[in-house]
Amino acid sequence: MTGGALSVPFASIEGRHLIALVDDFIALLDAPRDTADEALERLAPDAYPDDPAAAEEYRRGTRDDLVDQRISDARTVRSALERFETDAGADLVEVPRAELDGWLRTLSAMRLVLASRLGIDRDDGHDPDDPRYGTYDWLGYRLELLVQLADRLDEE
Amino acid sequence: MSGPASVPVMDEQLTAAPLVPWELVVWDDPVNLMSYVARIFRTYFGYPQETATRLMLAVHNDGHAVVATGPRETMEVHAQAMHGFGLWATVREAGE
Repeated sequence: MTGGALSVPFASIEGRHLIALVDDFIALLDAPRDTADEALERLAPDAYPDDPAAAEEYRRGTRDDLVDQRISDARTVRSALERFETDAGADLVEVPRAELDGWLRTLSAMRLVLASRLGIDRDDGHDPDDPRYGTYDWLGYRLELLVQLADRLDEE
Repeated sequence: MSGPASVPVMDEQLTAAPLVPWELVVWDDPVNLMSYVARIFRTYFGYPQETATRLMLAVHNDGHAVVATGPRETMEVHAQAMHGFGLWATVREAGE
């Protein structure tokens, strides 16, 4: 259960696309906190929606750790993708089991940010003319594939 | 349902306040994938596949589900982990 690695197929263009998304995501996390940013709010939701004092205490106690974890996860993913910048023939990424949750957290967090920007968290309507929907759907496809591969590895 | 046949009556001073459990609730959202949510429930909480799938479907169909119960501090640790995975989790006192 603890060993092993996932070989995750990536077309070269997909690898480079993901690099750009992860770089944007790291920049978002690194930027000065804008408490009005809905996407960042969704990444750290209220744990006590009916108790503002408890919610605030929880937030103070957890938010920095949560952001630090996200940045660390995203940098791990970013490092694994570096080969797509240097090797035109690269067609897969090896994800060690120890880094798997970081990959899952990063892909899912980037989808949540896009969903928030697109308003999908309110209404699941797709505007076919907005290229960000394509990115959102593609990230969902990549995440689904990663989950399938990971579940399969667990069964072995 | 009935309690034990004989319950010792304790001095009020010595009786601890009833231990009220807390709940970790995960809420449905239109973004997270069903397979992903089931996987997180299985791998993070260590639930068997069937339990993880049942809880995921409860979140999906009922809008939310109680995914764990226990001391408040533990539920907060779980909530932070769920938030890390992008799940929409809240903590509440049981019975609320």
